[in-house]
Amino acid sequence: MTRLFTKLGAWGAVLPLLGYCAIALGFPVWAILWEGLHQTNPTTQQTTVTFANLTASWHGIYLTGLLTSLRLSLLSSVISAVVGLFAAYAISQSRGRYFKQAVLTASGVLANFGGIPLAFCFIATIGTGGVFLSWIQNVWPSFSLETFSGVALVYPYFLVPLMVLTTLPALDGLREQWKEASANLGGTSRQYWRHVGGPLLLPAALGGFVLCFGSAFAAYATAKALTSGTVPLVTTQIANILSGNVIAGEDNLGMALAFNTIIICGLMMAVYLPLRKRSAKWLES
Amino acid sequence: MSVIASAPAQDAAGTRGVSLELSGLHRSFGATHALAGFDLALAPGELVAMLGPSGCGKTTALRIVAGFDRPDLGAVSLDGVDLTPLPANKRDMGMVFQSYSLFPHLTAGQNVGYGPRLRKVSAAERDRQAEELLELVGMAGMAGRYPHQLSGGQQQRVALARALAVRPKVLLLDEPLSALDAKVRLQLRDEIRRIQQEFGITTLFVTHDQEEALSMADRVAVMRAGKLEQCAAPAELYDRPATAFVAQFVGTMNHLPGQVVGAAKVRVADRELPVDGACPAEGTEVNVLLRPESLDLEPAAEASAAGRPGEGQVMLATFLGATTRLTVRLGDGTEAKADLPSHRAVEFPVGSAVRLAPAPRPVLVVERG
Amino acid sequence: MTTISDTEPAAAVTTPARDKRGLGLRRVRWWRVVVLGVLAVYFLVPLASTFWFTLYTPGTHTFSLAPYGQMFSAQGFGTSVRMTVEIALVTIVILYLLLVPAMIAVQLRLPKLKPVLESLAMVPLVLSPVALVVGVQTVLGWGLDQDPGTPLFQLAADLQNQSFPLILPIVYVVIALPFAYRSLESGLRSVDLKTLVEASRGLGASWPVTIWRAVLPNLRSGLLSGAILTLALVFGEYTISSILQFLPFSVWIVQDGQGATSGQLAPAVSLLSLLLSWAVLFLVSFLGGRRAVGRPDRSS
Repeated sequence: MTRLFTKLGAWGAVLPLLGYCAIALGFPVWAILWEGLHQTNPTTQQTTVTFANLTASWHGIYLTGLLTSLRLSLLSSVISAVVGLFAAYAISQSRGRYFKQAVLTASGVLANFGGIPLAFCFIATIGTGGVFLSWIQNVWPSFSLETFSGVALVYPYFLVPLMVLTTLPALDGLREQWKEASANLGGTSRQYWRHVGGPLLLPAALGGFVLCFGSAFAAYATAKALTSGTVPLVTTQIANILSGNVIAGEDNLGMALAFNTIIICGLMMAVYLPLRKRSAKWLES
Repeated sequence: MSVIASAPAQDAAGTRGVSLELSGLHRSFGATHALAGFDLALAPGELVAMLGPSGCGKTTALRIVAGFDRPDLGAVSLDGVDLTPLPANKRDMGMVFQSYSLFPHLTAGQNVGYGPRLRKVSAAERDRQAEELLELVGMAGMAGRYPHQLSGGQQQRVALARALAVRPKVLLLDEPLSALDAKVRLQLRDEIRRIQQEFGITTLFVTHDQEEALSMADRVAVMRAGKLEQCAAPAELYDRPATAFVAQFVGTMNHLPGQVVGAAKVRVADRELPVDGACPAEGTEVNVLLRPESLDLEPAAEASAAGRPGEGQVMLATFLGATTRLTVRLGDGTEAKADLPSHRAVEFPVGSAVRLAPAPRPVLVVERG
Repeated sequence: MTTISDTEPAAAVTTPARDKRGLGLRRVRWWRVVVLGVLAVYFLVPLASTFWFTLYTPGTHTFSLAPYGQMFSAQGFGTSVRMTVEIALVTIVILYLLLVPAMIAVQLRLPKLKPVLESLAMVPLVLSPVALVVGVQTVLGWGLDQDPGTPLFQLAADLQNQSFPLILPIVYVVIALPFAYRSLESGLRSVDLKTLVEASRGLGASWPVTIWRAVLPNLRSGLLSGAILTLALVFGEYTISSILQFLPFSVWIVQDGQGATSGQLAPAVSLLSLLLSWAVLFLVSFLGGRRAVGRPDRSS
């Protein structure tokens, strides 16, 4: 009886959070899915199920936007994942407590630092009239912050810290004994990484990459502030539609675009969660 | 020929293991000298336990033998061949770590097969060897389990099998039992010893548990502050400790006040005993070291309980089975422990007045400072 | 590069025993220096040049800290900051009221739910805030489609009250979930919660007293980090508030703050908030004290 009671009490503590998420997260998502699949006829005010919005969102400029978003996310997240993984390894190997703590907290802030402030920083650095623009243009004459490559250069600023944050626990979980056991059994350093270290880290590294990809895909404010919409991205297109820069009758097109991003988000989570689970089992027990 | 089948066969042919020698090892970490001239030699097939308080350098010594660490000075040699320049992965040593050393993403069988896999042994052969070795360590049929599905004791069994799978010349055990429950520890202790003898493999074993060291090892090397204090068979170590440190560290020891009264003679508890080893000049105040089992008790007159040397009162009786340990507080406040056969101990209930009666055997003394 | 490859082998010869683990870490070191060096440049240069940009006025060739002072007197600064701080506080309170009991309960009694919670806390990282705000707007629109006077209409209207739009903290709780969860999780990991709770309960304390007197003090480092991250997030959040057409600090700084001071004000504020939140986080991370970052040295 008391056992049942404590279980009930525990559920009582968890349910508010789950309920909140169902409302504040689930309700809007459901609204998008619903509206994305419906169309209201302006004259008859009748609402019907339709795939027209979705089909439209996969054509023309919206397809370009989707592809550009995917390309940008892929490029910046590959770079960030590789660099972030090496950085996290270097940090996990360091023994200085202050250094490690400083980098960890900085990662926490920077992973959070997307958006307008980040754009300001880069505009001040290599934007028009930026302090270092001439330096960069010496090596890369056509460079401009307001282009695809400009945005791709800025995104790692919050993606690398995100990668560090997500992979550091796994790297800290790599035990020195494993390296020693491998050497003891005759393995070289390369063999250790190939047979032990690599496979153990792979889920965490892939998971981090997926998060970076999703995060890059979801970003809006930075790109908007940097490019004012000259680089077509799904998120900026959605915002444009919302602020009314569209042809009438396409109201629900925004929903369809948002629908697409939610599908991408769902895919990312579907890939990420199993990876995360496996990594936790190996490295965080 | 498999590993297991070949090992006893080698024994029959007379090739038992290799000899291992650690000579003049020095190693310091910053200002601390973990090893300060450490020497130790292991005969082929011998199991030597390195015993000492934490920080005495025993783990450092083991890690130097394994090649995980390099000595500042000194050398490690196998059958007279210097190993010092060799990296860890070329040394052919099998090591069992304290805990959590199994690769978590590999099954027990794959863990055991890791060494052979690096040596390009075929998959089928690896599986067969792994199965045999797991059976040897009492883990038959568990090859498919992952480390997180095994108990601590089972993990250490697999770790032992993994170390043996590379047919190591030397087996290194770094406190392999210290993370386990008391019961599992006792069981595994015997099995490690059995397997070690079956393989006839030279083994170096680090522990801080003296009971473990004394019960498993051919010889025990007691270490202190980076140096070897004494290396001897367990019985010798216990009965004839070479130094006061060894005497105090191994087993329970009484320190009774006494005085040197002549050439190699000491007076303690109103008796004169011969002194073993170094003896200070006549008249020096010393502590006489006596094992509880070499202290007998006699009844004393109630009135003199507080006065005469060697007399006191029983404070505590601890029943240990065949013997009972009596704790006696002497007149000057020192406590002495005496182990008596339990049927005799009942003659001295708690509170009774007694006189210590040391057995007339040579004793060790240390100057009182 | 050349200096590194020149000095390293020399160092290796003179001090062969320096390397504690002797497993080829020496080879590892130079790339570590390179990676950390490149990253340091990438991360510090934008901050440094932003600082330079806020100080230096090219037209007059003068340096001045004025933008840092001006922000306080700028029109609308006070209102927007007060509104943002209020939103942040409400966000933090809701967040912790939901998250702390849930995480403690999961840790102690419902470990099976941990993956669920963990995945839930990950979703906002990859869910586009733009998409989220589209959904939120739709839902609010449904409310406003009701007849005025009905409870649903009233609710939708109240949520969008211009002086204190309650809808913002409600959405921000979701956005801040990953960061708060992570901070709390690392806090919980460094505490033996089970023993702590059993000891307190064993002494006769009720659940609320146990949480308040025994658990929360041990989690203060994690709680504070989470709160600071949330605060920083609310101050920087632009997407949702701008699309919903509210005027908290981040939107104000972009719209109104820019004109007057040749755009120096906005970067100045961004820089200041970034450095401040990092500094506070760094200090708070030592509050926990016992959380050992480096692994213990094995020299026995």
